[in-house]
Amino acid sequence: MIGEISHFLSLSAALLLSLVLIFNLFFFFNKIHQNQLTLSTRLFNQACWLVFISFGMYVYLAISDDFSIAYIASHSNSQLPAFYKVTSIWSAHEGSMFLWIVFLTAWSILFINSLDKKHPLKKLTLLMLSLIILGFLLFLLLTSNPFERILPFGVLEGADINPVLQDPALAIHPPMLYLGYAGFVISFSFITAYLLNGNFELQWEQDIKNWSFMAWIFLTIGITLGSWWAYYELGWGGYWFWDPVENVALMPWLAATAFIHSLFASSKSNVLKTWTMFLGILIFALSLFGAFIVRSGIIDSVHSFANDPERGLYLLSFSGLITLLALTIFAYRLPLLNSSKLVVTGSKESFLSMNNILMVTSIFSIFLGVTYPLIIESISGEKVSIGPPYYNTIFAPLILIAAIFIMLSVDALWQRSMTLKTLFITMVAPTMASLLSIYLIWQATNIFSILAYIGIFSGSLILFSYLFRTINKKFINKGSAIAHVGLGLLFFAVSMNSILSYEKNLNLAPGQSISVNESVQNFSFKDIRVFKASNHDVISAQVLLLQDGKEISLNPQKRKYATRGQITSESAIHASVLKDTYLTIGDQLENGSWTFSLKINYFIKWIWFSAALMVFGILLTIFKKKPS
Amino acid sequence: MNQSLRLLIVILPILILVFFAKVLLLDEDIKFSNFESKNFPAFELNDLNGDPVKALSLDGIKLVNVWASWCITCLVEHPFLTKLGEKNIQIIGLNYKDSDFKANAWLEKYGNPYLFSIYDPRGDLAFDLGVTGAPESYLIVNNQIVGHIQGEMNQTKWETIFLPLITKAKQGS
Repeated sequence: MIGEISHFLSLSAALLLSLVLIFNLFFFFNKIHQNQLTLSTRLFNQACWLVFISFGMYVYLAISDDFSIAYIASHSNSQLPAFYKVTSIWSAHEGSMFLWIVFLTAWSILFINSLDKKHPLKKLTLLMLSLIILGFLLFLLLTSNPFERILPFGVLEGADINPVLQDPALAIHPPMLYLGYAGFVISFSFITAYLLNGNFELQWEQDIKNWSFMAWIFLTIGITLGSWWAYYELGWGGYWFWDPVENVALMPWLAATAFIHSLFASSKSNVLKTWTMFLGILIFALSLFGAFIVRSGIIDSVHSFANDPERGLYLLSFSGLITLLALTIFAYRLPLLNSSKLVVTGSKESFLSMNNILMVTSIFSIFLGVTYPLIIESISGEKVSIGPPYYNTIFAPLILIAAIFIMLSVDALWQRSMTLKTLFITMVAPTMASLLSIYLIWQATNIFSILAYIGIFSGSLILFSYLFRTINKKFINKGSAIAHVGLGLLFFAVSMNSILSYEKNLNLAPGQSISVNESVQNFSFKDIRVFKASNHDVISAQVLLLQDGKEISLNPQKRKYATRGQITSESAIHASVLKDTYLTIGDQLENGSWTFSLKINYFIKWIWFSAALMVFGILLTIFKKKPS
Repeated sequence: MNQSLRLLIVILPILILVFFAKVLLLDEDIKFSNFESKNFPAFELNDLNGDPVKALSLDGIKLVNVWASWCITCLVEHPFLTKLGEKNIQIIGLNYKDSDFKANAWLEKYGNPYLFSIYDPRGDLAFDLGVTGAPESYLIVNNQIVGHIQGEMNQTKWETIFLPLITKAKQGS
């Protein structure tokens, strides 16, 4: 019964949103009347609340083990702790789509009610938001209904959540990511409304600035958590794999990063407005594209949900409609949009706009990387795969140029050109210091890799620019500085990781020990034990390492889960400031020995730390006291 | 310049859309191109115990049931299949896109109505059969597909669709 009520509430929400749209379409060409807007806003608010209540009831259904609901029966189990019963809702397609809609609705209702009653863009924004939420609700109800019952009788026990997903990270990684994606619905709808409205005297940047910053923060946290989770819990042994789904998350992130810079410039000095609008549309379009890639099954990936062309076609047509709508208006209005001021060469905004171009270039490169295999396959039927070498080669030069522009913009001024002399002075010290650090790293490691050194150089350029500016006690925007230091650190850590990290595959029988290299002087496989845990069997190896003069005990495990029979691998990790020792146990060989994979990962924690710095920097920017 | 840029902004996304629509639809075409050939397709697969299965063993009247441990509806129709098995209907399982470990555990837990189950983890045979999902059931008479039911098998479907076909086949021979 509760399932039906929950289902009915979602349907009613869709109905109310259609009413908002139809009602406003009738009066579209009339002058806006206050009562009409008030009524629409109320209807909209009620629709949003219906979605929330419906989702709340669905959460209740999951907690109370209603296995007559097909989706809950396939993804939950009565033995699960309540916490995982709730997270199992977003462990597959239907439920995660539901969650996505809830977030979309939450952002929308907060934003709409934050706008003043008389705000000239309120009505059109409301309509755009209604259209988007309605589109997704219909997608949910028509093609991926999470409320479907198993008739006539439900099953007694659920099929259990995938054990890989029985992890606290699942509780936060997807929701954070969705909060980020969905958050950009605000800037998208607001910009589209601005373009439709046609009054270009209006100042709109301030209204969406902090909303976009918040969405960026969620997106960044979501992606970072995914990377962290894959490394610590899933045993992937790395932080980034250029998996298609990672790529479709990175594209909106890059667009969003360019967007918040551009938005900052537009709100500060009234330039780059066209760029800001274009990027605002692009982020949401790319988020929709990501949803399409993941949920249509068009590309195989660890993240992809079940293959279903019908869903794919719906998502494609709907995202296409929304994106084309926005882009067509944008193109139509383009001649009228030129900013009142020109960008001064050598000013801060000129460097910003250069980096906008770089970001869009990198987005395009990733887009090409993701779609190229599909293009080739549809032309010649050949299967090709595009991997890390492509992305590394493309990104190294882009990163270098971006770093140079960041360095220049640190000392540049808004709307004023830099003299050649200051330009030179700005560049000299960081460049020298970065070259020196490369030389030192080369001396210390004796490894040469052109791509990695480009990365280290780029990272150092940014770090030293801010360092010297701090030493010289010049004015620094703290939030921006911290975020950019995070970026510099990220470039540095990723590059150092790529040259220093290594992997050894070892075969040992219990009781054996060997010497791996100078650093890992002794690797001894003490014992292997098999025991039972609550819902899985465990094979646990005891390994003692003598690494850099210190003894380290590691217990890599394999687990076999009862309900699904799935086998998972639990890596053992010993972490120090510079490096992680990452040990995974493989299979038993015929002669009774076991295979181990020993990975030494350098600077890997720095990568997540630098992402945290970026998030912290943007948070500072949001909560900075406004100069009165 | 400005004019062509404006056109590009609109046309490029349209091209991308058309491309993806084409890829999606292409996928579907491939999927349904081999739909229900009259002869049972040839295959070289193992059963769930790891022994090779011969296509020839499909002589006589047999029910081929597509199932998987991940499939909820398979659990729903499972009691009915067990009942059919008790009435000496020969049922052959086609274990579809599953792992043998999970499949065997499933059979152990709920009971095994099948003579044996063909293990088809990649869906090769299922592809040639035109399987769209699990569960699905095929009625085979002397290696010929004569009937096909998508979704849950139950008393009604069995009596209205498959039973008349079986009677017809028996009269014919």
